[in-house]
Amino acid sequence: MSASTSSHDGVWADRLRGGVIPLVLLLAWVFAAETGLGNPQIFIPPSAVVAAAIESIGNGGVTAAIVATILRALSGFALGALLGLLIGVPLGLSGVARNVLAPSLNAARQVALFAWIPLLSAWLGTGETMKIALIALGAFFPMLLNAEAGCRNVPVPFREVGRLAELNPSEQVRYIILPAAAPVIISGLEMSFATAWLGTIGAEYLIGTGYVNGAGDGLGVFLAASREYGRMDLVIVGIIALAITGLVLDRLIVGISKRLSSWQSH
Amino acid sequence: MAIALAPDSLTRTAAVEIRAVSKSFLVDGNAIHALQSVSLSVADGEFVSLVGPSGCGKSTLLRLLAGLDAPDSGHLIEHGQPIDKPSLARGIVFQDHRLLPWLTVEQNIMLSMKKQPLAIAQKAEITQELISLVGLDGFEKAHPHQLSGGMSQRAAIARGLAPNPRVLLLDEPFGALDSLTRSHLQTELLRIWEHERITMLMVTHDVEEAVYLSDRIVVMEPRPGRISRIVDVPLAKPRRRTDPAFVAIKDEILELLGVH
Repeated sequence: MSASTSSHDGVWADRLRGGVIPLVLLLAWVFAAETGLGNPQIFIPPSAVVAAAIESIGNGGVTAAIVATILRALSGFALGALLGLLIGVPLGLSGVARNVLAPSLNAARQVALFAWIPLLSAWLGTGETMKIALIALGAFFPMLLNAEAGCRNVPVPFREVGRLAELNPSEQVRYIILPAAAPVIISGLEMSFATAWLGTIGAEYLIGTGYVNGAGDGLGVFLAASREYGRMDLVIVGIIALAITGLVLDRLIVGISKRLSSWQSH
Repeated sequence: MAIALAPDSLTRTAAVEIRAVSKSFLVDGNAIHALQSVSLSVADGEFVSLVGPSGCGKSTLLRLLAGLDAPDSGHLIEHGQPIDKPSLARGIVFQDHRLLPWLTVEQNIMLSMKKQPLAIAQKAEITQELISLVGLDGFEKAHPHQLSGGMSQRAAIARGLAPNPRVLLLDEPFGALDSLTRSHLQTELLRIWEHERITMLMVTHDVEEAVYLSDRIVVMEPRPGRISRIVDVPLAKPRRRTDPAFVAIKDEILELLGVH
């Protein structure tokens, strides 16, 4: 009992240490704001932020934005990751497919995600389709690379187990290649989500129509609109909402990954 | 008259026929003759071991028999069928057990029966029988990482036997195990061989293991890989390792390998 309690205490002590810097920063913020050290228009006090948060949750502004952002991020992520998987697996299995597709895909991969915005907006407009396309594009490449590498690097001894069991090519993919590549594919899922999340906020902030229809159109738009109106308190509320949402989604994806790749964690 | 002329090997079915098989590999642009014109006939139900120094092509020969690689020239025949790809008729057990880490012992064995036209219930029954045969009762649901080296090798043997092969190929199956586990598994393998009556071909570095298990021992030489001698082991099984006749055969083979 005492042993388990002390190790439990150890974990909490470690966590508390991690909280020291945020706490110091928060205290410095409270002190600076309350003593009027900074410009109160930009350097708003924490109490104002809390009030803004209550206001924004009360009128549904920030919550609607969070929901819109989550739905958009997950749709784009699912689409991009799925395409990455569907193209990455054959690429990892066939040298011919690799020779044909890899140079073009590698070239396209070098283009920074946000550099696609001018092209995509010219093709797809500035509506939802374009935003989803940008997020999907962000999610696509990490998944593609991991699925390709994962399938290409399945050890020969495992492949031979499939051949010896007289499995046909599609059975070899299903019973040998995909499970063997799963840990790499799943870490691709995490990287894929990280880029999709970046793409989501970028798409909303850069392409969103700003203050015109700010509420209900995602956290990026919420941020842009708050900035336009000079509501720094709402900007900070938006940033905090963004951080929490991103963290929760990331933990969710990592949690799912861990479950899926349980055989590898041994 | 015609019958009288027929050689013995034709009247009795050979489980495995190796005829003038050659195989070379390119290593850094140089051709390595892993096998040069190797011929060997193994009778049905026979236990044959292949011994020899590294590079004598014994493992290459086993891979050719499994159908994992193809020879440059010559023929490999198993029960009258030419060997050109892997077949469930020929099981193989490797030194590295090659169990799939994401499957349990049971699932690993079941996967090797995937292509067998049997009901799932039948496969499950065979799996259970084999798990008992190799002494892994209670470890059906264990993953390979939870097994010791010896247990993994037992599971690999069960997997090799699951599709009911006519020939079992063993590539240094106990090479990575400690000597105590190794002698245990040698006894088990002998029991399985007597029980299942399947032809077994084993590659080994361990001369005592070869003498303990084999009806015949094929001694091979490297550069180029070829058969130098075939030694009969006319002793009743199970054999005693301290039996003078056993020791004499062991010494003879060690002599052939140039160890003495």
